[in-house]
Amino acid sequence: MAVTKTMFSSQMKKNIMNKSSIFICIPFLLLVPFVFLNAQNDQSSSNAYKKRVLETAEVDFLSSYYSQDGDNAAVTGGIGSEALTDATGTILVSIPLNDDDVLTIDAGISAYTSASSSNVNPFDGKGAADPYVASSGASRSDIWTNVSIGYSHSSDDRNDIWSVNVSIASEYDYFSAGVGGSYTKLFNEKNTEVSIKGNVFMDSWTPIYPSELRPFYGGNGVNNILFTQYTLTGNTDYNPRFIPFKTKERNSYSIGIGFSQILHKNIQAALALDFVQQEGLLSTPFQRVYFGDIDDSFIQNFHLADAVERLPDTRYKIALGGRLNWFVNAYTTFRTYYRYYFDDWGINSHTASMEIPIKIANKFTLYPSYRFYNQTAADYFRPYEKALSTDNYYTSDYDLSKYSANQFGIGLTYTDIFTKAHIWKFGLKSIDVKFYKYDRNTTFQSTILTTGFKFVMD
Amino acid sequence: MIKNILIMICMTCFISSCVVVKEYEKVNINDPDMILSEKKCDRNVVVAHSYREAAVGANGGKMGGGCGCN
Repeated sequence: MAVTKTMFSSQMKKNIMNKSSIFICIPFLLLVPFVFLNAQNDQSSSNAYKKRVLETAEVDFLSSYYSQDGDNAAVTGGIGSEALTDATGTILVSIPLNDDDVLTIDAGISAYTSASSSNVNPFDGKGAADPYVASSGASRSDIWTNVSIGYSHSSDDRNDIWSVNVSIASEYDYFSAGVGGSYTKLFNEKNTEVSIKGNVFMDSWTPIYPSELRPFYGGNGVNNILFTQYTLTGNTDYNPRFIPFKTKERNSYSIGIGFSQILHKNIQAALALDFVQQEGLLSTPFQRVYFGDIDDSFIQNFHLADAVERLPDTRYKIALGGRLNWFVNAYTTFRTYYRYYFDDWGINSHTASMEIPIKIANKFTLYPSYRFYNQTAADYFRPYEKALSTDNYYTSDYDLSKYSANQFGIGLTYTDIFTKAHIWKFGLKSIDVKFYKYDRNTTFQSTILTTGFKFVMD
Repeated sequence: MIKNILIMICMTCFISSCVVVKEYEKVNINDPDMILSEKKCDRNVVVAHSYREAAVGANGGKMGGGCGCN
């Protein structure tokens, strides 16, 4: 049996290696014809007027307020409140270093409060533990911070653009460090653009497990104070399957190629093809699972975990997207987008959206929009109590379930190209306000309000 | 699937060879609403989608990093 398992594992590794090679090779192969096509265009455009890539420093202040609710929290095994609010603030500064180079600094902070996360430890002694009621524990809120620095260089003829970026992000139980780069080639009198980009993220978890499971690894099990302090009901012989994850790292590698084309003086389109490989701890350590073949144990109204989710330690994702924008007239533009996505966890997804900017006055534009999304379920998804203790992989995270969603949005933008309003040396160029409402065909729904203020230096 | 992707790319290349819009004709193409990516103020919407939905990529958003677990 062990030999068979080893052979199977070896075969899987070979397959993964083959897949990785294909992922890496395809974008380069697709770029080859464009590199040859480019050679003659370079000569014709080398004497073109050299315009400064970025005329002056720009500062964007972005913020958002997100709110969601639903009855299928992953932390409580597919039942329970998904209530969550998140406030985010970001400052994005672009500084021209000279005619050709631009430095970009992107710093953000995000604070969330989550009912489901709070139930990592539902036994706070303030009322009966219940998956539909938020606990007051430390895990109910957290702060996420992010800093990213980018540098881009454009060639004299502006037909070649190189960029690199580094980023770090941190929250209580998660740290992420990333590095990336891209190369963009314009040709055909800047009617055609081809790009390739790559990113690597090296992340690490500080795993936090559901409170009732912790005494079962190196602890005293049901003799722990948690089980003597409260009365166990249902199956009083509570004995969950719990072994902490050995791997705490999660690495992501992505390669993307892009192609955009001006099709007409009023129409342009783009195609993007992205490949992502992830490896390491892809499960979320605090998301509970309840097995259908094990008797249920409860404390108060809270169903005690049988295990935490277990997902494979590799995942391959492929996304193909296309955009088509049509400048209908001076008042109306159509912005359309479609994406097909699939991965080796069995998820297939379609995304389609349309936004129709309408200029309602000299300085004001209205942005009505609609977006449709659907996905099939991951092979490992099991609703509440449908997983079996004999399964190798299982999750009750409804973000990996089958569903469809509709999103309606409306926005308003104020634009002043003369930047008359000033704060110190910065002139206000635009203000964006947008609101989106998102509804799944389950109980999940969310709203998000976003604002953006753009300033340019005098 | 791969075959369809290659056909689409070839068709797009063919179309591109037929049309050249000169710089002075690009006033509409250069309109801010014609940008071929999400607008900056929609960035947090893309992030929210990447947390709540399985599908990521091909939209200019982040394709890795972060747990997206809350």
